[in-house]
Amino acid sequence: MNEATAMLFDEFAVAYRRGHAPDVLAYLERAGDEADALADAIDRFLVAVPAREPTEEEIVLMQARLEQQPALLVLRHRRRLTRDAVVRTLVSALGLDTSKSEKVHAYYSDLEVGVLNPKPVDRRVWDALAGVLNANVRVLAGLRPPPPPAPAAVYARMSSGPEVRRRMFGVSSSAQASAERAAEEPDEIDRLFTGSA
Amino acid sequence: MHDARDAEDIRLLEAGEIGLLIEGYLGVIYDRCLVKVRDRDQAADVAQNVYERLFGELKRGRRYRVPFRVVVHQVIKWKVQEYFQSMRYEEELDDWLLGVSTDADTPIDSDARFDALLEGLTELEQTVLRMRYEEDLDFGEIARRLGREANAVHQIHFRALAKLRRDAA
Repeated sequence: MNEATAMLFDEFAVAYRRGHAPDVLAYLERAGDEADALADAIDRFLVAVPAREPTEEEIVLMQARLEQQPALLVLRHRRRLTRDAVVRTLVSALGLDTSKSEKVHAYYSDLEVGVLNPKPVDRRVWDALAGVLNANVRVLAGLRPPPPPAPAAVYARMSSGPEVRRRMFGVSSSAQASAERAAEEPDEIDRLFTGSA
Repeated sequence: MHDARDAEDIRLLEAGEIGLLIEGYLGVIYDRCLVKVRDRDQAADVAQNVYERLFGELKRGRRYRVPFRVVVHQVIKWKVQEYFQSMRYEEELDDWLLGVSTDADTPIDSDARFDALLEGLTELEQTVLRMRYEEDLDFGEIARRLGREANAVHQIHFRALAKLRRDAA
């Protein structure tokens, strides 16, 4: 192991022992050609020292995989929050018109069950959700959904989203709301959740 | 260094808090799987296998003469090895299938159909290989559909590929 790799290992080890959850892959990438040497050192270190506390995201991810549920849904249940409560907070935090709560509800529902592509969702939405759900919601929403009970697209287009959600997760369809929002002129809510306006 | 953690593990085990006991190791399970596998999705799959093995063991009432953390690290090691073993067999099978595919320059045996390939296998082995290679299912999903443990499916898959390799040789 060269000196640069030793310093990377030291940085990782110190962060780990301080109770942080340093990103293993990020460190290995930084090590470049020395990734194997660093991986070996980190692995031996992880066996030798007491295990760090798991992050909330790791717990939610495992629970989601075991229960074959979307991670965001699992997180909300862990927080004992209703979907309505999350939507109310979102509408308030984003300064949206309360009369459009139903539209926000439909978008959030799609995001929660994994049928809305999380990539274009505005940072302000993630910040607001992180505030109410107290976790890195963006990471959880972007995780690969557990295998669905029936073959289906991971991210359905807006027109087919509610149907896919109904088939995948057995939740009530918001088809009417989706159809309405597809027919309307794009507004601030569309921009926040889909990046288009 | 480990005394406090070991004592807490014993307390959780005696209280029957199996979920909490394993949850305490989720971080290191993910980290070690990532170090070895170096792919987040695949590492999460392996980590899930580790969790399920540990949970199954404890649920059946298994107790250990060594601290629980030692068991955790041993199960991680085995599950990572199992992952690489299955990857290696998949690569070998891919090579073999490529060799008998229509893209290959080698003459194609008229019996080199998937059905013919599976003939020497048991019904269960055939089912697992069909789910794996015709339906492109992962091992977790195959296990779920067959109502079996993922480990058992891995074993069946391993056995079936070993037979195919023997036949091919």
